[in-house]
Amino acid sequence: MKNVTRFILMIVCVISLSSCGYNTMVEKDEAVSHAWSNVENQYQRRADLIPNLVNTVKGYAAHEKETLEAVVEARSKATQITVDADNLTPEKLKAYQEAQGEVGSALGRLLAITENYPDLKANENFKELQAQLEGTENRISVERRNFNEASRDYNTYIWKFPNNIFSSLFGFEKRPYFEAEAGTEKAPTVKF
Amino acid sequence: MKRYVITLIVCTFLAAIQGKAEAYKVGDIVMVHLQDKTRYVCNPDHVLSSATVAKIDSILYALEQKTGIETLVVAVKEIEGGDCFNFAYELGKQNGVGKKNSNNGLVVLLATQDRCIQFVTGYGLEGILPDAICKRIQIQKMNPYFAKNEWNAGMLSGIQAINSYLDGSMEPEDIENENSGELYILGFVFLFMLGIFALSYYIQRKKTRCPNCKKHTLHRTDSHLISRKNGIKRERVVYTCSNCGYTVVKDEDSDDESGGIGRAGRGGPIIFGGGPFRGGGGGFSGGSFGGGSFGGGGAGSRF
Repeated sequence: MKNVTRFILMIVCVISLSSCGYNTMVEKDEAVSHAWSNVENQYQRRADLIPNLVNTVKGYAAHEKETLEAVVEARSKATQITVDADNLTPEKLKAYQEAQGEVGSALGRLLAITENYPDLKANENFKELQAQLEGTENRISVERRNFNEASRDYNTYIWKFPNNIFSSLFGFEKRPYFEAEAGTEKAPTVKF
Repeated sequence: MKRYVITLIVCTFLAAIQGKAEAYKVGDIVMVHLQDKTRYVCNPDHVLSSATVAKIDSILYALEQKTGIETLVVAVKEIEGGDCFNFAYELGKQNGVGKKNSNNGLVVLLATQDRCIQFVTGYGLEGILPDAICKRIQIQKMNPYFAKNEWNAGMLSGIQAINSYLDGSMEPEDIENENSGELYILGFVFLFMLGIFALSYYIQRKKTRCPNCKKHTLHRTDSHLISRKNGIKRERVVYTCSNCGYTVVKDEDSDDESGGIGRAGRGGPIIFGGGPFRGGGGGFSGGSFGGGSFGGGGAGSRF
């Protein structure tokens, strides 16, 4: 009997000493939301570059209609999908990632055909757009990595004992990750 | 012992040879800036000549003095993985290039066997040195030389272009910020000394407290030597209270300063200076990177 009370006392002590970690959970959750908004910003930045790019290419290669339209279409689809950081479920993230991946591969195809137009490649405006696009792809990959790190940090924290008891009690849910997918993950390669 | 030393030397040689032959990891690049704040160019493979390195260092030092922008230039033969953006980004991130508040770090990476040049700009530099400008500098000022394997000319003209573009773009961060850190340290040292004074005063005062009448009127009235061993002097000291006349007798140990054998004043003269410490270039202290963060800005190109 004495042993049992001692055991219970010990558990109470352990829990109260480590506190319930609620504040840390809130902080880490907020960090994930922040990282997510950064990811969205960078994707938005890419989306903003597309009209300009498409117009520039159109001036030199108007008959590449299909490729140009594919980019515009993929962009408009992708911009329709916005995911609120608070209900970031794995399914939603996957849909978002797929839509953005479409944009990426359509852009890749567009940049591939520009190889055939030396005049276009010599255009200053196009060169700068390409540089910006490349930089944006880099930023996207950086922010995605940051998001995954924040997400992992949060997930490991809420799943640790005894935090898992409180996280389920207060309704903290696991956050999803960006997954590296074949094809969509690849940034359009720009060669000079 | 001898065998141990030989093994160690052989191992070091092997490591050195291996390190030379293999591609660099991010952590392998030794930051020369940390040893000497006037140096910015990490040139472990001697891709650049020492004259070029010196010129670039002086340009970048002047740039940091004027604008506060911290630059890191790395020129190597080969990097691990061959992903120049990633390597340059990790270099900046792991070393914290750039001031903490303005995030104005700039990393310039040249990998000659991967045939790439990469700029990475910190968050705060993205607006001042946009990706398109980075690209333009690379294409116009650097790649024509790099294509002909003229690393010195290409790097120098690129750095000059960066310098003329950035000159006057920013103001150095408030010096107060850094000074306040030093002030804190000074304040801390002052408090610490105050504490020591208080403590020694307390101990001294405790010594004068009479165990009989509890007044601080105990005085040292007599002492004689008992022993002197290994440089420690033991004295018997008599304290008398001037208030109640109570006497206390204590044995006290102290360092013997008077003419011990083989202590001070012996030994050969110690010569400072002229030793192996030559490299500092005459009293330059080590620099530091401010811990700036990066968001993937910048541009890269292949040649």
